[in-house]
Amino acid sequence: MSFLGNRIFSMAVIVVVLYLNGCGGPEVNQVESGNRDQILHLGNGTEPQGLDPHIVTGVPEHHIITALFEGLVLKNPYTLEVEPGVAERWEISEDGRTYTFYLREAAVWSNGDPVTAEDFRWSWMRALTPELGSLYNYMYFPIVNAEAFANGEIDSFDQVGVKVLDDRTLQVQLYEPTPYLLQLFDHYSTFPVHRANIEAFGSISDRLSQWAREGNMVSNGAFELTEWKINSHVRVERRASYWDAENVELNGIVFYPTENITTEERMFRDHMLHKTNDVPLDKIPLYRAEKPELIELAPYLGTYFYAFNITKPPFDDVRIRRALGMTIDRELLIDTVLQGINTAAYGITPPGTLGYSPPKLFGFDPELARQLLAEAGYPDGDGFPPFEILYNTSEAHQKIAVAIQQMWQQHLNIKVTLTNQEWKVYLDTLNNMDFDVSRRAWIADYIDPNGFLDMFLTGGGNNRTGFSNETYDRIIQEGAPKATDQKERYKLFAEAETILINSMPVIPIYTYSIKHLKRESVKGMPTNLMAYYNYKYVYLEAEE
Amino acid sequence: MTTAISEIDPQELPKGVSLWQDAWHRLRRNKLAMIGACYLIAVIIMALLTPWIAPYAYDAQDLRLGATPPSAAHWLGTDLFGRDLLSRIMYGGRISLLVGFIATAVALVIGVTYGAIAGYVGGRVDAIMMRLVDILYALPFMIFIILLMVVFGRNLLLMFLAIGVVEWLTMARIVRGQVQSLRQQEFVEAAISIGLSPARIIWKHLIPNALGPVIVYTTLTIPSVMLLEAFLSFLGLGIQPPQSSWGLLISHGVETMEEYPWLLIFPGLALTMTLFALNFLGDGLRDALDPRVSKD
Repeated sequence: MSFLGNRIFSMAVIVVVLYLNGCGGPEVNQVESGNRDQILHLGNGTEPQGLDPHIVTGVPEHHIITALFEGLVLKNPYTLEVEPGVAERWEISEDGRTYTFYLREAAVWSNGDPVTAEDFRWSWMRALTPELGSLYNYMYFPIVNAEAFANGEIDSFDQVGVKVLDDRTLQVQLYEPTPYLLQLFDHYSTFPVHRANIEAFGSISDRLSQWAREGNMVSNGAFELTEWKINSHVRVERRASYWDAENVELNGIVFYPTENITTEERMFRDHMLHKTNDVPLDKIPLYRAEKPELIELAPYLGTYFYAFNITKPPFDDVRIRRALGMTIDRELLIDTVLQGINTAAYGITPPGTLGYSPPKLFGFDPELARQLLAEAGYPDGDGFPPFEILYNTSEAHQKIAVAIQQMWQQHLNIKVTLTNQEWKVYLDTLNNMDFDVSRRAWIADYIDPNGFLDMFLTGGGNNRTGFSNETYDRIIQEGAPKATDQKERYKLFAEAETILINSMPVIPIYTYSIKHLKRESVKGMPTNLMAYYNYKYVYLEAEE
Repeated sequence: MTTAISEIDPQELPKGVSLWQDAWHRLRRNKLAMIGACYLIAVIIMALLTPWIAPYAYDAQDLRLGATPPSAAHWLGTDLFGRDLLSRIMYGGRISLLVGFIATAVALVIGVTYGAIAGYVGGRVDAIMMRLVDILYALPFMIFIILLMVVFGRNLLLMFLAIGVVEWLTMARIVRGQVQSLRQQEFVEAAISIGLSPARIIWKHLIPNALGPVIVYTTLTIPSVMLLEAFLSFLGLGIQPPQSSWGLLISHGVETMEEYPWLLIFPGLALTMTLFALNFLGDGLRDALDPRVSKD
């Protein structure tokens, strides 16, 4: 049975491969029909973990949720400047600590209810409810008492600096003037959700609720969820009742989970996708040489890094963490495996984030690394316990892991095994701290060094290393927000980053590059530092 | 009359030809089967000697070198990490052959024993045992293997066993059918009448007579489990890099078949040739062991 099954499977694979390579595409293809009907077909990396804005944490989810929901503000995809969203205008007090948002009258939910200031208050209360366990709740922490509420230190949300002045006016009170505050309000973790909708499917803190599913969801964005087939696609369609519907050109977007980037590239070639999420590394030289108009390579505000579980020996020893960090030859890795498209990273913040560049505190230094390892009690790697590198299933992550595995073995004589897990399982494993070393990445939620550094606050939801340092916490939470000018603020960030990198709970590896394939018919979807899409700008034009 | 008997030289008596000798003679005349057998023996010897004869270590990288086509230094070229493909195919063969043989052996032992008991005892015991097989057939085997791997953790030997554990079902059915028909024959009745224990009858009389189909099915199971291993490894349940097997080398080769075709062609050849050899040998054995084939 299985033999036959496997044979048929492999034959089918061969047939498909030959077919994909043998011809330019079927007569009717999705790109063409999509261009005609304004349906965008997007490769989206993985199957989304969920679509509840207050629960998910990943980029694939982000791409879908920004189509379904809308926060107080949006961003312009060309300039990344803030544009009005649900709030048609806002006022900032002179001391920069009070923001008043005026919500537009035309903003309605997909069930026809108006989007009110109370919706935001309730949604933010939900996101901060300790029992919900939102991993992104620290996004709210610039708001007065938000952290205390999230930690269960105060019970009443009335004490938090979010006030409903009337149906359409929302006031937010901050501890300190926070330069990136408006950017937080276009992040999905601050998006509103529909109270009655959520309560119909469970309590305020029900993580497993079915409200964010096809047929159940009430949303307020430019699109609504019409179909979600697990491991096949998520389809959203234009919503006529959206306040700015006349400026939405697309009639729908279909998101495909494209975990296998080789398959994704074939889907693109076969005219099934308008835009891919990624490009197989081996294909980059080919596209650059032969079809440069289809490939986009651009800087991306994100860092690829390996994180230690520092609660677990031997990684509780900083010397060992540093030794491992120093024996990754980033330049070699980038030149070869990564096809030269990224830059080496020695800090967690990408260099040049709004003018801030992290200090370079270490380099590739196998000599020193061996010395550190010997001091930690493992001369020449003798007796070093074998450990695992955990990564989410992807050929690119595997290639990097294989190369690093070999570097550690070669320079430190340490045995490393690799483990891959499917995205959702991988996230669970990270949250349960059930790993030795994990492959991680962080993409900026807003353009500010703070977005990278506040990840490693003690107990932060996206910390996932066990790192905890009082001085560090104090600088990020109290020092930097109180800084009067940017120079002082960046000096404090550099100080904090020095603490972080010297302790090395994470090994920065490289600064991301956006790399994807895009049909020429896709307009209004520029590359930007954050790979931020504003689907309102997107339209499709038939290729000549 | 007595003299007549004494005149016959015992040396000139036609020798009794056993089933095995007969089969061997027929097999030896089958050229394809013999080529297959020789090839397999060569591959096995090579796999055993790999650590000493492989030109490079399977995980020795040369990132700067990258993927290169076959050359004098690397006869079959190198992969993306600059690893020698010939060495990787040799090491991969060890895993593929090991999984092929161990998993098949497990399937063989369980399947033959189980089928023979069910077939010999018959009646209600047979009905219950075979319904159990039906139930296991109905289980999606992938899920079953994944479950085993999750419960017991990733372990190469365990994966071999797990594959064997799901592959024995067909074997049990074949053996049961064979034993059921043999059971009606006189030699079994004779064995019962002289008071042999059922275990002895099964092991000494029934199983040897059912061996033909069993051997044939075994040669079909080996390639099937090799492919299964590649699939499991691809899902992250089997072996992990930098180790490799033929199946994995092929699945990675497919990804870059346009840029670096040799990474697909050579591992593909290694697997296909072994599968061919096994199939030729299996076909030859089936013909050789079939008692209905006339002796010429």
